[in-house]
Amino acid sequence: MVPLARRNLLSEKARFAMSIAGVAFAVLLILIVVSLYRGWSNVGRFYTQLPGDVWVAQPGTSDPFHSTSFLPLADAQRLTKVDGVRTVIPVYARHIAFGAPGHELDVFAMALDVPPTVRLRSNTYEPRSGTIDIDRMLASQAHVGIGDSLRVLGRPLVVASIHSGGNSIFQTAFLNAADARALFGIDDFTNFLLVSVAPGARVATVTAALHQALPGTETHTSEQFATSFADRVNAGFLAVVGVLVGIGFVVGGAVIALTTYTATVERAREFGVLKAIGASGTFLYRVVIRQSLIVGMLGAALGVASAVAATRLIRYGVPEFITVLRPLDAAGVFAVAILMAIAASYVPVRRIDRIDPAEVFRA
Amino acid sequence: MNPPLLEVERVSKEFGSGPTLVRAVADVSFTTDPGEVTLIIGPSGSGKTTLLSMVGGILRPTSGRVVVNGIDITSLKRRELPRVRRELVGFVFQTFNLLESLSALENVEIALNIAGVTGQVARERARALLCEAGLEQRLHFSAQALSAGERQRVALARALANEPRLLLADEPTANLDSEAGRDVMALLRGLTESRGHAAVVVSHDPRLREVADRVLRLADGRLASTESDGRTALLEAVASSPMAREGADSLRRVARAVRRSRLRW
Repeated sequence: MVPLARRNLLSEKARFAMSIAGVAFAVLLILIVVSLYRGWSNVGRFYTQLPGDVWVAQPGTSDPFHSTSFLPLADAQRLTKVDGVRTVIPVYARHIAFGAPGHELDVFAMALDVPPTVRLRSNTYEPRSGTIDIDRMLASQAHVGIGDSLRVLGRPLVVASIHSGGNSIFQTAFLNAADARALFGIDDFTNFLLVSVAPGARVATVTAALHQALPGTETHTSEQFATSFADRVNAGFLAVVGVLVGIGFVVGGAVIALTTYTATVERAREFGVLKAIGASGTFLYRVVIRQSLIVGMLGAALGVASAVAATRLIRYGVPEFITVLRPLDAAGVFAVAILMAIAASYVPVRRIDRIDPAEVFRA
Repeated sequence: MNPPLLEVERVSKEFGSGPTLVRAVADVSFTTDPGEVTLIIGPSGSGKTTLLSMVGGILRPTSGRVVVNGIDITSLKRRELPRVRRELVGFVFQTFNLLESLSALENVEIALNIAGVTGQVARERARALLCEAGLEQRLHFSAQALSAGERQRVALARALANEPRLLLADEPTANLDSEAGRDVMALLRGLTESRGHAAVVVSHDPRLREVADRVLRLADGRLASTESDGRTALLEAVASSPMAREGADSLRRVARAVRRSRLRW
């Protein structure tokens, strides 16, 4: 078959390139927004990385970041005796303000009071007294490095290590448990109890036993906290994300429609010639739809490739923006771009219907 | 006696209504036999092109009948007319109407694609037609890069691609110099004779009277006169010229090549 659609598009190379760039930009915009959304949704995964399976908290707690809880420290001892419990770690957690040069930063500080009998894989969670572990984002925003000092609640703490992570919503810091108790002023209390389930024990069974042992508390798995966190973040972001994704699709669709329509209108006489020499409606529609698809597919492919590159750049250049570009999202946006391309050819197809082949006799 | 290839019976065409009603063609009848060239002449606005459009199934007459190769195309449904135009009729336009983004070869090939002939078969057939039209050195030239005469020859090859029974030409020499015009008419004349097809040509060009078997003169949409003594010295001169002979021979070969894979109605 003569590649008429391709030839029509290539006859105006500059416009063709701009159309592809337009669609690519729209797809890029959509994918960046979606990947930011996915990134924020994943922020709550932080809870699942801590050394425990079940969190015991005061009733009405959503997750440690969004609400606090107070429990008697002695409850930790009671829980260690529950069947199926391997370890119980009191967790101190609250938002605190840091004095950084020139500005103040808010940080979510945690301290894990790890019993001497428990060994954690990472030292991040239990810094020595007088030191603090901060995430990379906080270090960047506070302009501090390892060995520098930070004033936390009036007390200087030396940065002992910097762990990866952090984002523009919240930064995390780990304190020594004894320091946390002193700084937070809660000697006989803790905020949460993080329980590890013994190998072979079922989380559900242990959770039920925890309720029995400590009536008046509630339990959440780390996964539930992560989900609860994601739900709260999403509730705030979803509307914005929806609007931006919608704008992206409208822009992309408009670019494809405009390109195809212009290419059709400009070649109206030629479509009239094809009609006059016997081209069926289907033959002509196929040309127009192919034009749309070429612009849509090339634009979407370029957009996806740009999004992959952009999310990598963002990850390294602007780490506070967490981006997670899932292949399924990229494939979905690509597919929607193709559907948009088909839909965008509706108006040019209608235009072709109205072309009168008798016009071609006019000199 | 063979029936005429084209029968136009009391065809009329009106545009508008009430006070804006215009009768572009009124009660025109004529026939064209296989191998005949019918020339329609008349001043601008006399209804020549409208009549040609109706004969080609592009416009539907307000009244009357057009029968092409035994098929009453005026009784066909609208969606059936494209098939008539691609299989029974070939069009040659005054302004050539080639697709500017395509090469000469592709301009002919697309007419075959439209009729469902695709791939290498279509390509080879288009190549053969253009070679026979003397354009073997211009196959891959963009339509824009061709001279007016070459464009019209590509248009003629495109019109012949699906081996139509009836060739309709609207002012085919109007945009050509005298030599190119003579070439095109020699090809057209040679085609009708060699293939037993018919041609209806609309033109202002007085030279064409001499290659026509019949001349119809339209005035105000009505048939004002008919001449049937068309072919004269110029026709003989054209027919006897080496170029015309070569053209006619070439077209016979094209006709044979096309016939081998012709589409059946």
